[in-house]
Amino acid sequence: MTAPTTDKSSRLAINKAGGKMVADYWDRIFTARERGEKVVWYNGSAVNPIFQAAGMAWCHGEAFSARLAAQHLEGPAQLAGQEYGYVGELCSYARTHLGCAVLSRKRATGSANGTGMVGLPEQAELAGRLPTPDLFVNAYAGCSTGQQWDDISFRVFGKEVPIFNVSMPFMWSNRPGEGYMVGEEWERSSRYVAEQLRELTTVLESITGRPFDWDAYRQNMAYLKQASELRQEAMRLCRLTPAPATFWDWIASVAHINFLPASQELVDFFAAVKAEIEQRVADGVGAIADERYRVYFDGFMNWNHLGLLAKKFARYDVAVVAGRYTHHAFWQEPQLIDPEDPLLGHAQNNLLCPMNHSTKTIERLVLRDCEYYGVDGIVFHSTRTCRAFTNPQRLVAKAAQEKRGLATMFFEGDIADASYYKDEVLDSRLTAMLETIDVRRARA
Amino acid sequence: MPVGTGSTVGALDALADVAARPEAYAAQWKARTGGRVVGILPMNFPREIAHAAGVLPVLLQESREPDTMGRHLLAEFYCGFTRNLADSAAKGALDYCDGFFVADHCTQLLGAVDVVRAEAPGSPVFLGQLPPSLTDEWARGEARSMMRTFVDEMARFAGVPVGDAALSRSIALSNDNRTLLRELFAARRAGNAALSSPQLQAVVKSGMVMDLAEHTELLRQVIQGLADLPRDNRVRLHLSGHLCHAPRPELLAAIEECGAIVVDDDLFTGTRWFSTDVAEDGDPVEALACWYLERDRTAPCPTRVKHETDWEDTLVEAVEASGAEGVIVLMVRFCEPHMLYYPELRKRLNERGIPHLLLETEHEGLPVETVQTRVEALLERIRRTAPVEVSR
Repeated sequence: MTAPTTDKSSRLAINKAGGKMVADYWDRIFTARERGEKVVWYNGSAVNPIFQAAGMAWCHGEAFSARLAAQHLEGPAQLAGQEYGYVGELCSYARTHLGCAVLSRKRATGSANGTGMVGLPEQAELAGRLPTPDLFVNAYAGCSTGQQWDDISFRVFGKEVPIFNVSMPFMWSNRPGEGYMVGEEWERSSRYVAEQLRELTTVLESITGRPFDWDAYRQNMAYLKQASELRQEAMRLCRLTPAPATFWDWIASVAHINFLPASQELVDFFAAVKAEIEQRVADGVGAIADERYRVYFDGFMNWNHLGLLAKKFARYDVAVVAGRYTHHAFWQEPQLIDPEDPLLGHAQNNLLCPMNHSTKTIERLVLRDCEYYGVDGIVFHSTRTCRAFTNPQRLVAKAAQEKRGLATMFFEGDIADASYYKDEVLDSRLTAMLETIDVRRARA
Repeated sequence: MPVGTGSTVGALDALADVAARPEAYAAQWKARTGGRVVGILPMNFPREIAHAAGVLPVLLQESREPDTMGRHLLAEFYCGFTRNLADSAAKGALDYCDGFFVADHCTQLLGAVDVVRAEAPGSPVFLGQLPPSLTDEWARGEARSMMRTFVDEMARFAGVPVGDAALSRSIALSNDNRTLLRELFAARRAGNAALSSPQLQAVVKSGMVMDLAEHTELLRQVIQGLADLPRDNRVRLHLSGHLCHAPRPELLAAIEECGAIVVDDDLFTGTRWFSTDVAEDGDPVEALACWYLERDRTAPCPTRVKHETDWEDTLVEAVEASGAEGVIVLMVRFCEPHMLYYPELRKRLNERGIPHLLLETEHEGLPVETVQTRVEALLERIRRTAPVEVSR
């Protein structure tokens, strides 16, 4: 089989407007100081509705690293991190963000000439745009590195910026009856995280000097619940053949559901996403030109190669219809949110991070998705510097083959370090998997 | 030069044998006592709880076998210890364990433990998470609650109640053991070169595996007859890092063969292991919780979040106390907490003008020639900058 070369992908038109919303958000972050806003740097779960209610500007570290990688601007930050001493096998989100922290700190302390490896123009571009923080908040579920990363950011800034940590228990399920949203572990962990989020509001009061606005918080959570419901309904439409949207479309709106301000604009955006998908269904239009294969994507996003991957899979007539990263994160259980008393449902959605479950649970969720979306196989993105996402992959692949007879393949890449991606390896493995699917169909 | 009396040598040989073949010791212990063995995962599960239940806690060690069957169960970019753990589980090499207890939340470790649970479906695998952020208001209560859970789970596993009196006895015994280990390492710090780094590692590693009383008795024999052998003029080094498991003894030997002598360390299979005692008065469960929270003060660990303590401070203090002339940072390849923290160590060592070298280790492959070339370069740098005595 030779690799086809034409672009057969047809991404949702709404993504363009969505891109502008994200760009506007970052512009507001970059100018937060000019408006006299306090700035919080945070990592991990979506605690941003609380920051929004407190009237702060919030900068999600992973999101900033992802954005740099998607724009191919990650190089200088990673170089600054390398110069500071971070080893290349370290989480590339953390490395990129810490590189920004190093540059930002140098600039804030007037020592921008301190780095020899990163040119001054690149330093100005990066460090000048990310405002230094007034507070760090860490709320990392399912990844010990995430928690340690903010402790190091705190140290890079000379321990001068306060830090608050939300500890998220890993959902291991020690006993029968414990699992996804059930059991004593789930109940106890939910209450534990909710109490920490409540404590966070008092910390924010001390930072902003204002009482926490609980009404604003309830309103934010109501918006998020609506937005998430629309997103979930739209996702479920992709069960149809041809799939009206793909994993790559959902990737394009991760930023919106994950950290853009909760607002009517956000609700309207996801209503528009759903409407466009419904129109495609009505018109019989697919997200790729000739859908012959349907696969599930398990792995963190490879932000350096979003466009390339979307086009590549489409060229092979492969509709990537769902994925663990897009479908098991970001307020994916909106029914848990009570807008009148949202803390518990907020905590629970934070706990349901797709890296925060044991393999037993992830296997169940992934295989359930595969059945629902009617896929022929699973593509595993073995995400080089993200062990948390990679953890269950080999066992899930084994279960998918043995229990569901699904074809599986692995390709190596990374979240924000382009050097780990090998295009030819993906081509040859994808070709082999599709041939396997063809053979199975022929025998059926 | 002999390291000590015949009984010292005999005890050292016995400890070295256990360190080299922990699973053989565990099997022999089971046959001898009819008891149960629990595999515990590094670095924070308190062995005292298992001991109090009459169970042998074996802190799982990296095997010397090359990884084969487990290679397809965890990705190749995991640390050597976790990959080897997965491999051992796949080969059935952990079958001597009747169950497993984990108190740590390291992402890579969780991946390996998930493989253990999949490969040993008949053995209970209990994960209880001690709060990793140690200075939170609620950390003490959470730590206490989790220690209580561990005690209850261990009692369930062992099929016997675990009372406070038994816990207190185990704590006292464990403290005795730590005291003796500290004595041995203090002698090295003070200049006694009777034991090499690989020998000291075997002393510690065997203690992670053996019955406490038995190990303590052998330790006493080692100490009682230990020779007082003043160190010579080799370059004095401090070894730092290598969390969760032991560096290969061959690596330690290779470093010392270059003309260096290790005078202190903060390795997990070294001073980190016995840094902190558990209080013997009061509620033993509370004491274990305090031990966990306080350990980071005596031996700051990059896997924990504690803003008041700094590993770089204790490292520099230790270097000054022992008179070490340089530091070798031993980093387990892919160990993320260590990768994250390393620049802070590097920065402080540079500020203090302390020469240092970073060496990464893997489960398989020890490039001795490369290691020795790099260590020799470090030693040469130290020798060049050392003050020269001028005779008049």
